[in-house]
Amino acid sequence: MSRARDRTGTWIGWAFFSDLSSALALTFGYMFSRTVTMQYPDKEKWLPYSRYRGHHFLKRDDEGEIKCVACELCARICPCDCIEVVPYEDEKGNRRPAKFEIDTARCLFCGLCEDACPADAIALGQQYEFSSFSSRDLVIGRDDLLAKPGKAATGGGVVAARLNTKKDVLVEASEPQGYNWWRNIRRT
Amino acid sequence: MELIVALGLILFKVALLIAMLLLLPLPLTWLERKIAGHMQQRMGPMRVGWHGMLQPVADGIKLLTKEDHIPAEADRFLFKLAPILALAPPFVVFVAIPFGESVSVLGNEISLYVSNMNVALLFVFAVIGLEVYGVIFGGWAANSKYAVLGSLRTCAQMISYEIPMGFAVIGVVMLAQSMSLLDIVRAQADGWNILYQPVGFFVFFVAGLAEAQRIPFDLAEAEGDLGAGFHTEYSGIRFAFFMVSEYVIMLLVSVLSVILFFGGWNGVLIPLPPLLWFVLKVAFFVYLFMWFRFTFPRYRYDQLMAIGWKVLLPLSMANIIITGIVFS
Repeated sequence: MSRARDRTGTWIGWAFFSDLSSALALTFGYMFSRTVTMQYPDKEKWLPYSRYRGHHFLKRDDEGEIKCVACELCARICPCDCIEVVPYEDEKGNRRPAKFEIDTARCLFCGLCEDACPADAIALGQQYEFSSFSSRDLVIGRDDLLAKPGKAATGGGVVAARLNTKKDVLVEASEPQGYNWWRNIRRT
Repeated sequence: MELIVALGLILFKVALLIAMLLLLPLPLTWLERKIAGHMQQRMGPMRVGWHGMLQPVADGIKLLTKEDHIPAEADRFLFKLAPILALAPPFVVFVAIPFGESVSVLGNEISLYVSNMNVALLFVFAVIGLEVYGVIFGGWAANSKYAVLGSLRTCAQMISYEIPMGFAVIGVVMLAQSMSLLDIVRAQADGWNILYQPVGFFVFFVAGLAEAQRIPFDLAEAEGDLGAGFHTEYSGIRFAFFMVSEYVIMLLVSVLSVILFFGGWNGVLIPLPPLLWFVLKVAFFVYLFMWFRFTFPRYRYDQLMAIGWKVLLPLSMANIIITGIVFS
């Protein structure tokens, strides 16, 4: 209903609500377009990219031994002081962590521990579902960290998933690679 | 004996009508949320039942079990009265609405209306005008600034749309030579009134949007600027009363549009049962209301008054005069 359009002589369109009807046509078109909703816990799940900083994990070397040398550099650089490392000397005379605890309730997932590590032993992986009813459960020990999933190989897709509430609340993805979520965005 | 049967039939019809009107808001809220969602590329409710079909039931249970809170400074009597005043008139109006001619059940002709008043249209407008008291009292009694602002806007809105709305239907009455809704529908058997009264329909529909307090004229509740307007302070079942009232009025304006301008249960081209034609047309108008809601922004209330007095009123007056000249 702009005045400019009045002046250019399209008042007849204005009188028959051409602007209102074009708005109605737009919303009607949107109504039958694809929805962008990701039905997260029920049906679908987002796979993170390989650069994603999720739950930490500890790596093993080729012989299956823990890579960590318990130098405590990660504990030093950690801005929220949430890593606690206690070293010991194993049978072969290597320095290894007796205790390696991360308080994920305090962690801010900055990834500085990953950068600081001289032995490439700790990294932030792809897991992002680790909520808990108790903050005490969020303190993760060494053996749990070794078992956590690593970096994602691919990612950035939506896969079919299933919510499993039997034992623990888990969302199980069915396939490694999903569809590109961005294809659903309608561009006009 | 005859009298008792007739009385029983009327009671049965009234009970059926009330049950229908109380239950219809459930699918309508679901529909509205679904339409809203899909127009915004969302899905709307999906988790309760198939595609969220049972979501309104869950919402209803939630509203029934919630605390029914009355603010400390509120006028308690008016506060309790207002939801009932808002709920009753839309239900009363449906007594005068015909849904069809008649159906035969077990060899008896049963009419599809509770009463065939000869001034049904007047009755409808008189009673629906009372609904606004519920809104005004509700806003005033809550003793909240948002609610009072909502009520003030409702007053401004009421005086600017009721008059054009009343004038807009005079053209229809002139064509049908009757104020009975049944006669108005019968008069449209050959051609719907929309062909002869497009301006009348336009004025009626815009005023109807204001009557139903739907976007673009939902000034009384204006979520964006007034919290929830006149029912800001209501909770639980009283809030549900206001919501049911709103949906029933939306239904009423759709039904009136169909009866007055779109030939009621008269069909065209496709031979469907009359009742089905009626329901389909009403469903279209209900969809139109929801479509409008998620397309248009809200008018300011001085704009609504300007539209009411400067556009709709002259248009409806001109419509009466031209109808009188052409069809006399």
